[in-house]
Amino acid sequence: MARKPQDNPQLDMTPMIDVVFELIIFFVINIKAVDIFSKLNANRPAPSSSPSQSEEKDTQIKIDIGPGGLVFNGRAMPLKQFDGAMHEISKTSKNATVLVRCTMDSPHKYLVDALDTCNKYRMFNVSIFSM
Amino acid sequence: MARKPQENPQLDMTPMIDVVFELIIFFVVTLKMADEKDDTVRLEDGKYGIQLTPEELPPTHMMIDIARNGRISMGNVTKTPEDVRKIVAERKRKFGEFPVMIRADWRCRHEFVKRVMDACTAAGIWKLSFVAVLERKSGKSKHDK
Repeated sequence: MARKPQDNPQLDMTPMIDVVFELIIFFVINIKAVDIFSKLNANRPAPSSSPSQSEEKDTQIKIDIGPGGLVFNGRAMPLKQFDGAMHEISKTSKNATVLVRCTMDSPHKYLVDALDTCNKYRMFNVSIFSM
Repeated sequence: MARKPQENPQLDMTPMIDVVFELIIFFVVTLKMADEKDDTVRLEDGKYGIQLTPEELPPTHMMIDIARNGRISMGNVTKTPEDVRKIVAERKRKFGEFPVMIRADWRCRHEFVKRVMDACTAAGIWKLSFVAVLERKSGKSKHDK
């Protein structure tokens, strides 16, 4: 059947609207809130230097991490207390070198906590030792 | 049958719809490719770290995942520490210093993290970054399975 020439043809919008709705649905389904991540920088010491050898210019802060949590100045302490202690230290020594010593069986969580606290008090010179 | 010349022809929408579907398929496929990581890894909070923006990371960066059980993976492909050392050394030879990010589960033993750190230092990378969560927006807790 031949098409009749139309006098006032209208553009058929229906398929376009269909497609646009399809797209909207697709993107709505695909959007998921994503966590915002942060990075915590740390150094590994050169194999030749042990914690005791690298003692030079600045103050050194030693943090031990065991299976039970953070040990600072020989005392095991919860994160909050550790945060307070680091806050006190950060007032006096700005460019302190932080040495974090982890035992093999310590959960990774405590290392991240320690690094995060160091970042909080703007101590960016952190080295990780494994024992 | 010869076409009659139309005075007011209608626009054919079919090719446009075809192209739109093609685009949808393309985006679906590429979205999956970009998101390859170990989904079992739960990260600890790191509210004071430097915000990690994927767009700002240099293309040479490397992300190493460590699962709770110590499985090391890159792009969700399991690797041994020796594999990691080789890959890092090769990339360092090609591009020089590049950022290495470690996505380690908060529950995994330091021993497993040490394996990766040792592999990196053996390959000549001394600066490492640990990935943590600055802000939880997805509603997922670190205690989720």
